Amino acid sequence: MKAPFSAYLDSLSPSLKTLVGILGKSFEYVSILSTDSVGFTISISQRSKSVSGKNMTTERGNVVRVYRNGLYSEYAFNEVPENMELLAESIKNELNRQFDIMAKTGTRIYDTPVLLDEPLELFVEKETQRLPEEEDMKRLVDQFSAMSDCGVHTIPRALDCRISASSTHISKMFISENRFLRQSYVYTEGTCMAYAPSDAGEIKLAYKGVSGCCGPEVLDGLNDVLANMPKTMEEMLSSEKIVPGEYEIITDPGISGLIAHEAFGHGVEMDMFVKNRALGAEYIGKRVGSDLCTMHEGALCEESVTAFVFDDEGTLAGDVTEIDHGILKTGICDALSALRLGTKPTGNGKRESFSHKVYTRMTNTIFDSGENTLEEMIASVKFGYLLEGTESGMEDPKHWGIQCIMSRGYEIKDGVLTGKVVSPVVMTGYVPDLLGGITMASTDREVEGNGGCGKGHKEWVKVADGGPYLKTKARLG
Amino acid sequence: MFARILEKINALGCSIWELSETTTRGWEFYFIRHELDQNRVTDVKSFNVTLYRPLEDGFLGSASGEISPSATDSDIEKSLSDIYFQASLVKNPVYQLNDKPLNPGEMKEVDIAEIARNFISAMTNVSETETEDINSYEIFVKENTVHFLNSNGVEYTIRYPSSMIEVIVNARNGDHEIELYRCFRSGTCDKDKLAHDIEKALRYAKDRLITEPTPKLQDMDVIFSTDDAVQIYKYFASKASADMIYSKLSDWTCGKDISENMTGDLITLKAVSSLKNSSYDFPVDEEGAAMKDCTLIKNGRIEKNWGHRRYCQYLGIQDSFVVQNFVVEGGRKSEEEIRSGDYLEVVEYSSFQVNTMGGDVAGEIRLGYLHQNGNVRIVSGGSVSGQMSDVIPTMEFSSETEQYNNAVIPRVTRLKNLKITGVV
Repeated sequence: MKAPFSAYLDSLSPSLKTLVGILGKSFEYVSILSTDSVGFTISISQRSKSVSGKNMTTERGNVVRVYRNGLYSEYAFNEVPENMELLAESIKNELNRQFDIMAKTGTRIYDTPVLLDEPLELFVEKETQRLPEEEDMKRLVDQFSAMSDCGVHTIPRALDCRISASSTHISKMFISENRFLRQSYVYTEGTCMAYAPSDAGEIKLAYKGVSGCCGPEVLDGLNDVLANMPKTMEEMLSSEKIVPGEYEIITDPGISGLIAHEAFGHGVEMDMFVKNRALGAEYIGKRVGSDLCTMHEGALCEESVTAFVFDDEGTLAGDVTEIDHGILKTGICDALSALRLGTKPTGNGKRESFSHKVYTRMTNTIFDSGENTLEEMIASVKFGYLLEGTESGMEDPKHWGIQCIMSRGYEIKDGVLTGKVVSPVVMTGYVPDLLGGITMASTDREVEGNGGCGKGHKEWVKVADGGPYLKTKARLG
Repeated sequence: MFARILEKINALGCSIWELSETTTRGWEFYFIRHELDQNRVTDVKSFNVTLYRPLEDGFLGSASGEISPSATDSDIEKSLSDIYFQASLVKNPVYQLNDKPLNPGEMKEVDIAEIARNFISAMTNVSETETEDINSYEIFVKENTVHFLNSNGVEYTIRYPSSMIEVIVNARNGDHEIELYRCFRSGTCDKDKLAHDIEKALRYAKDRLITEPTPKLQDMDVIFSTDDAVQIYKYFASKASADMIYSKLSDWTCGKDISENMTGDLITLKAVSSLKNSSYDFPVDEEGAAMKDCTLIKNGRIEKNWGHRRYCQYLGIQDSFVVQNFVVEGGRKSEEEIRSGDYLEVVEYSSFQVNTMGGDVAGEIRLGYLHQNGNVRIVSGGSVSGQMSDVIPTMEFSSETEQYNNAVIPRVTRLKNLKITGVV
């Protein structure tokens, strides 16, 4: 079935087109992004159960972008009066109050050209099997309750087992003088998470998720995830501390994705180029990884949690080859940064919500597959670790440092997994060293879209990342 | 709208509920160097509702949702009906909503224009040099107004300011340029403190230009002297929460010592009802409970657990609330005494993290000062890692304290024998 576009937004569009026309008399460029996204969050454990109609992407609201004399200004609101003349006046009045402050403080403008606003009409409703707003929540609560019960009985020492999920039916509409774009799609994610005490009394976690650009049907995959949890927890409970040092490593697709995301995801967000905050700007056309390192970025790359058709500035989604056989080719770019850099936007202008500013943000960030099997890769390791379990990562575009925290590493000695597990594992290093050290990549690849991504320490958006198993060297602690 | 939603809750036959209306007016200014990249206004309202329904066998169901201010009557009825149905599916042990009347006092006036102007002026006046300067900054100022009402008649309306400024500073030596990231949160703009903190960041930035790779080290004491230390003290506060205890993620119940054989400084952590210029400086929590001053941990022993009303009731904890602001008392030694002998002081991590569930501590070193044998080396790269349960018995912290938004903590904290993964 099609994910139907919001009837509310359709009903609002004539008024908002009027508002664009009114504001157009005072500004050189006007656009409006409107959103109406509904969904749910569910979390079921032995100790606590909750259901909510809210999650990180549910929202209903509007943001107006205007341009005059080299400056872009925005006004976000979610109460829409009937009289668009009055709304336009209040928008202008409030922005004028800000302009007064700028005048009083002697603030200079970072002069930017006007957006082109090329004509385009688009209406896309993506396929889904089910809609979150029509989901049988009783069935889902019963299913998750049974899974949680199963988890605490089968997972060693489990204190609790939490099954959680969220699903959102997103509708977005972009209106400017020459563009009228509408899209709707559904994305869903779910996670199994269990925790148990080690012999030393430390709480150990085991977790894994499923996700996709689809309805709640993807949550059926959590049964397979749960089936693997007892083994993962056993490994976590028997884990030891790692001896700090440099090792040969094999990253599973989740960790490969984490590296892609932190290394040349954030590292080539071109709004950072505008501020001279990214070393990547100086390395376009230069080698940043081994020949086996090819990386793509774009909402078109994968039907994931961020597989939109147009971004939050009305730019069509793309598929950018960032790194081609080790050579950095280009970055990703929002529309205003593209104007400032004299390049084209890549469909990566995203907002945390309608009330937040656009930044250049990632969508799907993915390493290409290689030609090796995982078995061949393990057999090639003299002493190192197979790394799994994304906990967190942090970017450093200016200096190309990287921090990835993983839940566990499986020791490999003389080409064989020894059965010893270390946890947690902190990987740090210099990005070109890490990517330059890639010597093998597996033929398969996976993309994960659970959780969120911040810019600095804020602006949380949905992203997905992944790749094949990769073999390289890294510093672990 | 508030009244319309209430009317429809009653029409559903729901007798236990919480409803809040939040209005946020925000002014935002984004600068590249000192030139304005973009200005923004936000005017956003939301209605959040939680409906409860008694279920068989002593359970209480609940579900929540958000209603848009643009919702029609039929939208509201559909949303509430869905929420009320979902409440029947969620079976948790019974608990009661707050029922004590509140007196939140007079509503504050918030002048977001004046606060924003102060931030812009403060940033314009930061002392920069040709080699150490501001790369970019983003100013966020909000006036938050919350009206809360529950079915027991507990009601309040509060208004408070919250602000954030994200600042990137650069230092350069010829073609070699580095940056440091800072994010300051507060109620309003404290111009002097902001200028002091940014000028300190500029000094650190200058040092980052001349770092050497962190050497391989044995286990080493690490000193925390920035807002990263707040993560350490939040771990203590979280472990004392009813939410963590009920979920079996903590056993820090009232009367227990937080560790055995504590030979370092013994932590005393207090919740405070008001903290000047905190972005959480309001007298009530999100569930309609009054904030109070109370000691949660005294000399390393749990004196009172805190948390959401539901979990507190399950554990028999009286008179509690959701802590927003906390103060940690200073330790026995001065900052100067804490800074003795060999240690690594890390003033810039990629992202310092303390896992509140597992207690793992970790962060990549972007800028550190390695004090060894009377010498100081400025280092970068590698990581710090450890486990809170290992460091609590011997941790030390200074008698001097410093405020970071909603937390007052010792100015320096020394965690002993953390693992350092060096670069060379």
